[in-house]
Amino acid sequence: MIEPELDTFNVALENGLNLDSDGHAGPYANGVGPRRNPRGDFPSGPDIGTRLPDIHATDSTGAPFDVHEYRNGRPLAMVFFRSAVW
Amino acid sequence: MDAFEAAGVALVALSYDEPDALADFAAANGITYPMLADPDSEVIAAFGILNTLIPEDDHPWYGIPFPGTYVTDADGTITAKFFENSLAVRASGAQLVRAATGEIVELEPARGDDAMVTAVAAFDPSPLAAGVQRDLLVDLAVPAGQHVYGLPVPDGMVHAHVVLDDGPWKVHAVDAPATQRHVLAGTGDELQIYPGSVRLYVAVSHNASERGDITIAGEIRWQACDDDQCFLPQRQRFELPVHATGANWMQPEHRHEGENFVAHFRKMEARRG
Repeated sequence: MIEPELDTFNVALENGLNLDSDGHAGPYANGVGPRRNPRGDFPSGPDIGTRLPDIHATDSTGAPFDVHEYRNGRPLAMVFFRSAVW
Repeated sequence: MDAFEAAGVALVALSYDEPDALADFAAANGITYPMLADPDSEVIAAFGILNTLIPEDDHPWYGIPFPGTYVTDADGTITAKFFENSLAVRASGAQLVRAATGEIVELEPARGDDAMVTAVAAFDPSPLAAGVQRDLLVDLAVPAGQHVYGLPVPDGMVHAHVVLDDGPWKVHAVDAPATQRHVLAGTGDELQIYPGSVRLYVAVSHNASERGDITIAGEIRWQACDDDQCFLPQRQRFELPVHATGANWMQPEHRHEGENFVAHFRKMEARRG
């Protein structure tokens, strides 16, 4: 199990925005609030070469959803994203 | 989305949002692929990708994953993963489709030369949002009887790779074919070689500190050898235009418009409080 380390590198700009080590600007300082990114290695879940674990969740209508059933023999891109709200 | 459908690749996205928030987001942005709700972060935690750098009592941020994407083959086996340290960086649809299908884009050779290695680089110049990766394609055409090197490479020799000039861009990963083991007859030293022509996919993003028409500049470096001799290391510069835009989530067409999103945010702040 990898213990991720918080990336706190931050450059505060006069316009209120903050730059991370790659130069991406954002309203939050790096290492604060939602902008708590790992520095170096961090967990990325199941390994390449293993079966994607079953995913049972609800879709945006609230109906049950089974990812492998939906895939139905097709290749899949399974995206885990931060939020649709912010 | 059209590219996924055309390629026969299923696309599903999951976040810690409530179903009604996802429905509003899908409607506001014209999204037709399934968006799954994991409001208690159960799936995220089961995958082992919960962002544990966010304290459990820090609402509404707690519960997000280290964001990333898994690509599987038709049997559901993971064949590629796209995970980045920064929330600001993500894979592009084109990268995911290529990972799922192995689709090959043909490049025009830079110049004909049947004696020496030639190299060509290409980059889609269409608008690219900050943090979204796009593959810079490099083809090295290797004449019969010659080879170029992959990693690891002994000191003093140069493997086939790309170095970008300093600029508002970053290389995230390089996807190269598997190398072959090559044992030198004289010394018994082992080298990793590409025995024929080789395609490198160099994932690049920019940070929007320069916007509009920018030029990504850098060089391809390599060294070729045949069974008798090694040639001097070579460098070939490239300058590739692209139209750089701000982050997608900052663009007017991607804003979370309407009062619903304020309500969704307030609900997220309160739901685990």
